[in-house]
Amino acid sequence: MSLFGSRPNTWIMAGVGALACAVAPLNPVWLDSVILTGILALISLSAGLSFGQAGILSMAQGAFAAIGAYATAVCSTRFGLPAWAGLALAIALPSALAWGLARMVTRMPELAVALATLALATLLEIVARNWDAVTGGYVGIAGIPPVEGFSVGWRFNILVWVFVLLAVLAYENLMRSAHGRALNIVRHDRTRAMADGIAVAPLLSAMLATSGAMAGAGGWLYAHYITYMSPGSLDTHASISALLMAVVGGAGYILGPVLGTFLLNLLGKLLPAQEAQGLFYGGALILILLVAPAGLLGWLQALADRRTARRARATSNAAAPAAPAGPAAQAGREADNPARAAEPAR
Amino acid sequence: MSESKLVARDVRMAFGGVVALDRAGVEVHPGRVSGLIGRNGSGKSTLFNCLTGFLKPTAGTIELDGRDITGHAPHEVMRAGIARTFQTPRIDFQTTAREAVLCGLFPRVRHGFLSSLLGLPHALAEERAMQREADAVVERMRMDDWAALQVNKLSMGRVRSVEVARAIAADARYLLLDEPAAGIGRDEMRVLADEIRSLAERGIGVLLVEHNFSLIRMLCEDVTVLDTGAVIFKGTPDEARRDERVMQLYLGTAAAGEAA
Amino acid sequence: MLEYAFRGLLNGTVYALLALPMTLFFTTAATVDFAVGAYALLAAAVATAIPGPVGVLAGLASALAASSVMAVVYVLLKRTSEGGIRVALASFGLSLAIASIVLMVWGTKPFVRQTFMTMLEFGGLRVNPQGLVNVAVSVALVGATWLVLQRTQLGRMMRAAAVNAQGAELAAIPVIGVQCGTLLAGGLLGGTAGLLILHSSGMDFTASLGLTFIGFAAAIIFGIHSPLRCLAGGLAIGVIEALSAGYTSGMVTSMLPSAFMLVVLLSGQLRAGRYSGDRP
Repeated sequence: MSLFGSRPNTWIMAGVGALACAVAPLNPVWLDSVILTGILALISLSAGLSFGQAGILSMAQGAFAAIGAYATAVCSTRFGLPAWAGLALAIALPSALAWGLARMVTRMPELAVALATLALATLLEIVARNWDAVTGGYVGIAGIPPVEGFSVGWRFNILVWVFVLLAVLAYENLMRSAHGRALNIVRHDRTRAMADGIAVAPLLSAMLATSGAMAGAGGWLYAHYITYMSPGSLDTHASISALLMAVVGGAGYILGPVLGTFLLNLLGKLLPAQEAQGLFYGGALILILLVAPAGLLGWLQALADRRTARRARATSNAAAPAAPAGPAAQAGREADNPARAAEPAR
Repeated sequence: MSESKLVARDVRMAFGGVVALDRAGVEVHPGRVSGLIGRNGSGKSTLFNCLTGFLKPTAGTIELDGRDITGHAPHEVMRAGIARTFQTPRIDFQTTAREAVLCGLFPRVRHGFLSSLLGLPHALAEERAMQREADAVVERMRMDDWAALQVNKLSMGRVRSVEVARAIAADARYLLLDEPAAGIGRDEMRVLADEIRSLAERGIGVLLVEHNFSLIRMLCEDVTVLDTGAVIFKGTPDEARRDERVMQLYLGTAAAGEAA
Repeated sequence: MLEYAFRGLLNGTVYALLALPMTLFFTTAATVDFAVGAYALLAAAVATAIPGPVGVLAGLASALAASSVMAVVYVLLKRTSEGGIRVALASFGLSLAIASIVLMVWGTKPFVRQTFMTMLEFGGLRVNPQGLVNVAVSVALVGATWLVLQRTQLGRMMRAAAVNAQGAELAAIPVIGVQCGTLLAGGLLGGTAGLLILHSSGMDFTASLGLTFIGFAAAIIFGIHSPLRCLAGGLAIGVIEALSAGYTSGMVTSMLPSAFMLVVLLSGQLRAGRYSGDRP
């Protein structure tokens, strides 16, 4: 298999990231937008992994990111540790929390999981708002130093997109492996998964821990970019946005969340009024759910599949209608078959 | 000294006040095809689920090669070497037949989640090996011609074959089939019977839960008959045909089976 | 302490109104309408803009309009999939959209209205007459809902749909119609709750999700299945919240709805998927 063919999503991401790094610095406003888009994309990827592949609708990804952000903020402002030490904690803490959460959440139906994670995110936000000793409470933590060597805007942008690329690579590695397939089976039918010898609870725990780690990394980047972290920075609104972006882009596709983030975030910046953001996001979500439930990438794939089917019908003779289900190779816009989810779950 | 077999012994299953199984038992031996029959509500599905870990018996034991596996979780039972199919196929209809077989290879995976995530060399190597193994199973089951088709485009008989292939992909030593003949025609049933026979020849112990007595007669060396949760007969299919109690239960069904 | 408890009871009855739509919709459609809090917010916002009883009517009408949007979305979604989760997500989107509209039109200032100037005294307890109005309205609506469910044809259809949607359809019960009806009822109930809150403690543009949470928590605490349990749940939350406000910190009080929700969800109240022993 060609090098591209084995990890198409990663290569595409590399291209997009390179473009982002090359074009954004041309304009300071663009640079800021692109950096934030990258950070949000990372958080959205974590939501997409959880929901799109395993059917776990987590509305707490913003909270995991916030934990990461606070962790590094405290490490650097209170203990004077370098940013990279903060990164270790920013990844470990939310990951551990997500792991613990999984144990409780794995037995619940989808809707209950969504509500439970939303409740958890709300609780965490309230704690952050009130725990003056650690999080600075209502006021937050200011003066977070930038990452050593990456304090200049365009360099930090590169760092952000490298993180996104690594996340996509890990995601694609996973979905190309037996564990990724197992996640899809679990999403589709738990009984089937058990009969396949899959230990469901540990698998979901591992997946949630991974998504927690991704979100935590996003939070780390956020803290060192904005240099200020407060309860309002990465709140339930951020959790919800991250999920929306994943759904709009196509939660079942590896690059779906990235696409969704680009669209909603960048287009959102074009809105006449900041207040209209909720209307835009909410409207986009409803539209996607009605028209293209598998997200934009799902819609594009359906188009591509129809064209391939039409072509196959045209070229085949009256005889065997065995349409060779060869790779509907649309330049890797979709993840490989096991990760192809027709809908973001029931 | 424990011989190789899968055994359910004196199994009792009570749901609240309802007793679904009462001192029921069955044995499956490597290389032999055994049958488990009974009317609807006789408890055969309950016993099936007890054997495969989907239900924990209220009393009694399930033993695998001398080891007690009563109440073990389904995935543990599967990894211990017991594979099952489902009466209504549980399969993602959007996947291809080959992908479905590939999914069955999961218990053989040695590398961990993290290794997959990081794309470590040994994980990638194992993945490549799995892909080759899936191809091998497809070839062995003679599914090559239609392995690339989506499951929703396959006939029921082929779907059943896919399920069987998925179950044995993991190198199971015992295969428990839940009414595999349901919904398939005579020709496909013969294909299925051939598959099952060749599996037994390779040393796999098969338990066939079936309504269709002709399939039982075609394949099974012994058959256990359940009625209202209790074993009322154990013997060869021919003996079962001659047993009064069994025939009384199956009066209508047996006649239809004969005529068919 | 009695005063706190009493105040809690008064608040609790309004929570019951927020809980009712949750129960009705969940039992008939097995999913949640997240926009109930938004209906409340919208009604309050519109009523502030238009003074007098016309404002009240306008508020209710706008809430009803919003819920009819949800009903349309629901019908469209049902055509394409089974997805209970998609409906919930869509209602989420609607909630965001409505809150955004309120923000755009009315800005960030809170909505509150005082209609009663003098407090009543009941043996040492000072009570705002508005509280009594709240109780009266809420109890009346809860009672009315219960009556409809138990005694009318519509109620029978709803209960049938709740127990077995497919069976109900086969029995020529217009299940989708019933489900839309509960959505619209949710609009009215949510709107009413919003108006009552407007005249009590007031709210601002951020309130929609919080109100939805409280409604949901109140609905599931004692089991999501009946209107009377909503009342009980609402009262329970109201009382505990008031006691908490009096005796513990603001932080604990604000955590209550979410904490309730989390605890109840974890205890398996919403559990739907299980295999019934015989055939997995």
